[in-house]
Amino acid sequence: MKRWIGIGLALALGAAVVLALLLGNGGDGGGGEQRTLTTVRGVIGSEKKPFFDDPAVRAAFARHGLRVDVDTAGSREIATTVDLRPYDFAFPSSVPAAEKIRQARRIARTYSPFYSPMAVATFQPIVDVLEKAGVVRDSGAGYQVLDLRRFLDLVATGTRWDALPGNTSYRARKRVLLTTTDVRTSNSAAMYLAATSYVANGDDVVTSRAQVAEVARTVAPLFLDQGYSESSTEAPFEDYLALGIGKTPMVVIYEAQYAARLFAGGGAIRPDMRLIYPAPTVLSKHTLVPLTDRAAEVGRLLQEDPEFARLAARYGFRTADPKVFADLVATTKAPVPASLVDVVEPPAYDRLEELVSTVEQRYLAGAKPSS
Amino acid sequence: MRRAITAAGPALLLAVLLTVLLAVAAACSGAGGDAPPQDGPDVLRVLAGSEIKDLEPLLAKAAGAAGVKVSLSYTGTLDGAEQVASGGADGRYDAVWFSSNRYLSLIDGASARLSTQTKIMVSPVVLGLSRAKARELGWDTGQATWTDIGEAARKHRFTFGMTNPASSNSGFSALVGVAAALSDAGEALDQAQIAAVTPRLTGFFSAQTLTAGSSGWLADAFRRRTDVDGLINYESVLLGLRTASGEPLTLVYPGDGVVTADYPLTLLASSAKKELYGKLAAWLRTPGVQREIMTTTARRPIVPEVRPDARFGTAPLLELPFPNRRSAADALINAYLNQVRRPSRTVFVLDTSGSMEGDRIDALKQALTALTGADASASGQFSRFRNRETVTLLPFSTVAGPASTFTVPEHDPAAVLRRIRAYGDVLTARGGTAIYDGLRDAYETVRSGQGGGQGGEDFTSVVLMTDGENTDGSSYEDFAGFYRTLGTRIPTFVVLFGDSDVAEMRQVATLTGGAVFDARQASLASAFKEIRGYQ
Repeated sequence: MKRWIGIGLALALGAAVVLALLLGNGGDGGGGEQRTLTTVRGVIGSEKKPFFDDPAVRAAFARHGLRVDVDTAGSREIATTVDLRPYDFAFPSSVPAAEKIRQARRIARTYSPFYSPMAVATFQPIVDVLEKAGVVRDSGAGYQVLDLRRFLDLVATGTRWDALPGNTSYRARKRVLLTTTDVRTSNSAAMYLAATSYVANGDDVVTSRAQVAEVARTVAPLFLDQGYSESSTEAPFEDYLALGIGKTPMVVIYEAQYAARLFAGGGAIRPDMRLIYPAPTVLSKHTLVPLTDRAAEVGRLLQEDPEFARLAARYGFRTADPKVFADLVATTKAPVPASLVDVVEPPAYDRLEELVSTVEQRYLAGAKPSS
Repeated sequence: MRRAITAAGPALLLAVLLTVLLAVAAACSGAGGDAPPQDGPDVLRVLAGSEIKDLEPLLAKAAGAAGVKVSLSYTGTLDGAEQVASGGADGRYDAVWFSSNRYLSLIDGASARLSTQTKIMVSPVVLGLSRAKARELGWDTGQATWTDIGEAARKHRFTFGMTNPASSNSGFSALVGVAAALSDAGEALDQAQIAAVTPRLTGFFSAQTLTAGSSGWLADAFRRRTDVDGLINYESVLLGLRTASGEPLTLVYPGDGVVTADYPLTLLASSAKKELYGKLAAWLRTPGVQREIMTTTARRPIVPEVRPDARFGTAPLLELPFPNRRSAADALINAYLNQVRRPSRTVFVLDTSGSMEGDRIDALKQALTALTGADASASGQFSRFRNRETVTLLPFSTVAGPASTFTVPEHDPAAVLRRIRAYGDVLTARGGTAIYDGLRDAYETVRSGQGGGQGGEDFTSVVLMTDGENTDGSSYEDFAGFYRTLGTRIPTFVVLFGDSDVAEMRQVATLTGGAVFDARQASLASAFKEIRGYQ
């Protein structure tokens, strides 16, 4: 089975294939000498798998005597149900999930080598329509934002696309909702929940159980009323890229997903596609929790070694040194802002978990929440 | 994630499927029945919906191009979903590949059995009509809404065929799409909205005159029929289809939305062949393969680098919300079967000759009992005798009959279902095998209108179950002569069982436009269940 790993893992899914090939061909030529590598095993959020599968990343680890094997799981699962015993590190996509593991295992130090703001991938006609409705506006910092307060008002009244004034370009009878993944399993949806809960809580981070119950009433329809949602963040974004505005007029993504496609070229991002940001947004801080000593070295390299920062940026991640990402934006002329202004903190793990559970109970109850 | 690899042994194989096991690559010669998988490291075993059968030539190339030998086994959508959710697929298959995972994901426990999902291609469920009919209805530009279509259907201005939503994903997707579009709701349907939209659905489906348990059989039946104006099915099926007179269909893309199949190749969490799966998934998404899928199977590519060609048009397809609760999905299927669709008229011609004595008659009783609602699984409930259905049970041995007819009422079906069960329980096996006398009686019963039954011949069918050769009464030739004088198109669905005369049974199916179901390896109950999709 091992012999496949070089080839097999490189052939990762999605546009990661393209990326991997591009980087693989252009890059480091493999570090092919047969020295013994220390294998470090991790369980990670699936959006980082193309990065770890990249031959250039593997070669970079090999130069430090490491071989990093990863399995993927949802960040919520990593923090709760995944058996961590076979792993040297856990690498969920958010601080709350990482904090939960750190506290439970009494680990002193964690590493947050890269992060990505939550964003919304959409299309110019949708931006136009929502601008007229006062829901999309200019941030004043060189990019457009989806005003979550206005958006929640729109959702609360059950507004449909064809009921928006002046909408001639997207006459759908369905509700105005952002496509997300399943909030019960997926971190990107939980991060969207974090941002909307802040607004629903009167522009404040949810800190108490009483607030959870109140806020859930407002935010649950954002998920439940969409109907079926997929479990992995890549799936709805693929629909957005391949099937376009009809299926997925607006989808919640990590900025990195969009930026990686822009950086790679290849035409996946077509001229009418737009990247906007929820206001406020939250950052998905990918946080590595070392469970063994040898995993600390992986965390340290990712966080401190400029080579890894450079490689991570190609996957659209922002790193501690903002210049790495900014340089890539400049050289590729990618329409991505250098920095974001309106960023809030997600609730602490327990509160976020309660919010997710409350939404989950509404799935189970089968009753429609009052909206 | 890998811990369950060896957990599933033969004991889990109880969920017997009517699958055609087919080794696409030569790798898997002795495969079949219940043999536990013993494959090379390059064989990926995939449990698939029959919808992807047209990919076999392409998948055969995966061995050389990607180093993956794909071994496909086919099953119905719902059966497959239940098998995966119950763990019955663990250890037996590495991956599943249905046209959609949406229903599957709604079943409790299913998500935990699934690992990576990779979408491979896309096809929306739309309406295809003969050109003349499309022109007559003003839809020859391809533009109409489900509301327009429903209005024309209610007025019987056209007729259409569709697969059974409980058996086939195309039918289920169509039902969800039509219900979502006709309902006034802008969000995913719940049970209250389903109840509210049911009268409008009844109007819509009053124009349905052809049903089937699979998309393939539906297309074949459509090609034979001149009285069905169109089909609701995958765009990919409709693009390749010709009418009885050989002309292509006009595709109508409902402006108020569609439900789209995305064919996710899905790794089972129990499989150890993660890398092999990754290789196949990556290969299937290379631009060259995506183009080949588009060209040869008329499905849209999923990778954005390959753009759909001119056949697919340029209008964006609005996607309708899909229910996110199993209760809603099941309520919709139940409403369709028991309230919305036109009722079925069915005759079961049952061999009770001496050779059926023992296990065989017991299996028959069990199969009949399952159809009276005793099978508590979702697929069991969806295959029971439906409200408003008229069922005739016609046993035969040395002579045929007598026939007993039951009509399941529109409400409170339990009492009649109990009577059918009681009838089955006292069947006894003795005497000879007068197959064709029995079959002839069946046709005479439905032709003479005995026992009632509404709706003409559209949903009338005969099931013939026999375990041996014809020994008494009229011959096959006698029956064929009789059948040809009837001028009917009522099909006979033949169940092979025990020592059936396979060649002659196939003749019966061909003569009547029916189909053959093999219960010699699998159970009689599962054969009956599969046939229910066609009734």
